[in-house]
Amino acid sequence: MAPTVITATGVSKRFGAKQAIDGLSLSVGEGEVVGLLGPNGSGKTTMVRLLNGVLRPDAGRVTVGGLDPLEAGEEVRRLTGVLTESARFYSHMTALENLRFFAELYGVDDPARPRRLLEEVGLAEDMHRKVGTFSTGMRRRLGFAKALLHEPRVLFLDEPTSGLDPDGTRAVLAEIRRLNETRGTTVLICSHLLRQLETVCHRYLFIDSGRLIEQGTLAELKARYQKAVLLEVETGLAPDGGEYHGHPFEVVEEGGRRLAFRLEDRSQVPGLLRRIVAEADVYGARVVEQGLEELYFAIREERLP
Amino acid sequence: MNWRAVRAIALKDVRAIGANLQVMLPMLVVPLVLGILMPGGLVWALLRFGESSGELDELLRLLERVPVGGLGDALTTFPDPSAQAVFLFANYLLAPFFLLIPLMASSTISADSFAGEKERGTLESLLYSPVTTGELFLGKVLAAFLPAVGLAWGTFLLTAVTVNAVAWPWLGRVFFPTPNWLPLMLLVIPLLSLATVFLNVFVSARVGTFQAAYQLGGVLVLPVLALVVGNIAGLLLFSSAVIALVGSGLAVADALMLLALRRFMDRARLFESQVG
Repeated sequence: MAPTVITATGVSKRFGAKQAIDGLSLSVGEGEVVGLLGPNGSGKTTMVRLLNGVLRPDAGRVTVGGLDPLEAGEEVRRLTGVLTESARFYSHMTALENLRFFAELYGVDDPARPRRLLEEVGLAEDMHRKVGTFSTGMRRRLGFAKALLHEPRVLFLDEPTSGLDPDGTRAVLAEIRRLNETRGTTVLICSHLLRQLETVCHRYLFIDSGRLIEQGTLAELKARYQKAVLLEVETGLAPDGGEYHGHPFEVVEEGGRRLAFRLEDRSQVPGLLRRIVAEADVYGARVVEQGLEELYFAIREERLP
Repeated sequence: MNWRAVRAIALKDVRAIGANLQVMLPMLVVPLVLGILMPGGLVWALLRFGESSGELDELLRLLERVPVGGLGDALTTFPDPSAQAVFLFANYLLAPFFLLIPLMASSTISADSFAGEKERGTLESLLYSPVTTGELFLGKVLAAFLPAVGLAWGTFLLTAVTVNAVAWPWLGRVFFPTPNWLPLMLLVIPLLSLATVFLNVFVSARVGTFQAAYQLGGVLVLPVLALVVGNIAGLLLFSSAVIALVGSGLAVADALMLLALRRFMDRARLFESQVG
């Protein structure tokens, strides 16, 4: 495994009566793209803040690039680029003025970089407009450009595509992949949009109430949580009741043209198909792949009381 | 110290002054009225119509006998009571208004620069950047302090030109300022501006919006102002040594506030109390 670049060991953080992070440990390897998944208020944004040293954990320790952000905060923040919903821009300044200002703070030496980044995120036409007039999606693109200003080694992206149109979403996801592949950028993405994450993440961390409840690659999670195989068959077969030769099924399409059979594993697929073909016409059949979204609910159902 | 970042923060805040009418307007109007229109108008009126005021004569007779600061001697160099009154007004009674200018400016700018950052959600963006809280603080203090002092000095220059020019046809000499203004402008005004900025940092940390900081800042500043204004006229009647003493007092107050402000330098505490 690649050397770790982000670690958290037994981290806890409380705000008043709310235990935001509760003994959480995690690690992210250099060059990994990791999705941090969990419902609202599960501690995702708090974790990003702790890892950047703007919050102090009550217990435990975090490191980024081998450095403790509480001791070497400026060094850590030079390594990291952050996009969060709550960190805003100056609305009386234009997009370009905003990026130029942050370029000064991050010590960016290339004077053309702010302009080039704005062009890359699709704000070329609007770079001289005041940010106060921007839509949510445009602010998100600007936030993404700001996070990339100093070519950070580690990117923290909190809901990077929320508010973006399909084109913008695709561009951001493509850019994340490109940065990861060409520059080896490590990325931690918090998101609710699970289908999008599937296309960029190598690994997933599931958190709830500030605790890590599961982690793994999509294949690992499928092996652990995908209990049944769902076989969808387009057929003239019209069996009675909810079972067909011991296999429970549901009618997917009205009129009984499409049936979904629940099997214990893939080895049962050929036998079942042979049986149906012997009795009725079959127009098509496919095993329904379970995605991250189905796994998310399966994991939460099993791991949470 | 990352001077590039300090400079960027200070410049950004100075530019923001121009973008906010609520901040810009008092900075233009107050110096214009207190520094140019009022002194120019009063000097002109005193010289043009001021000959026949008996009460004024009486006051001037009294002051001529005051044995301090060479005021009596200075007054006798003027030919008539209205010229003496102009000298007295411009050099002694104008001073309190000059303190108002940097007080107002540093208070407005720092309310906008500290509370405004929190109000607009931009403080979080700043705290994610590789800039220390000390650099952030310094940039913001400079952005309020330098324009405030600059405005006071600039207005002072314009006032000097205005009152001397208006009075020239009658007096035929430069009578403003007296040497006592030097320590006032160079020492008291910068230190007082700094104290106002620091005071506003405390206020901004307690409240959520620029409006609230601006208003509360005003409430805190007013008593100080009343005290200072009430005494400064008398102060100038005495010597530079007294002004230097007041300056030292302000310097101590500044140093104490700076010490107290160190608790805002802890990034995590700042974040939790100001961003949440």
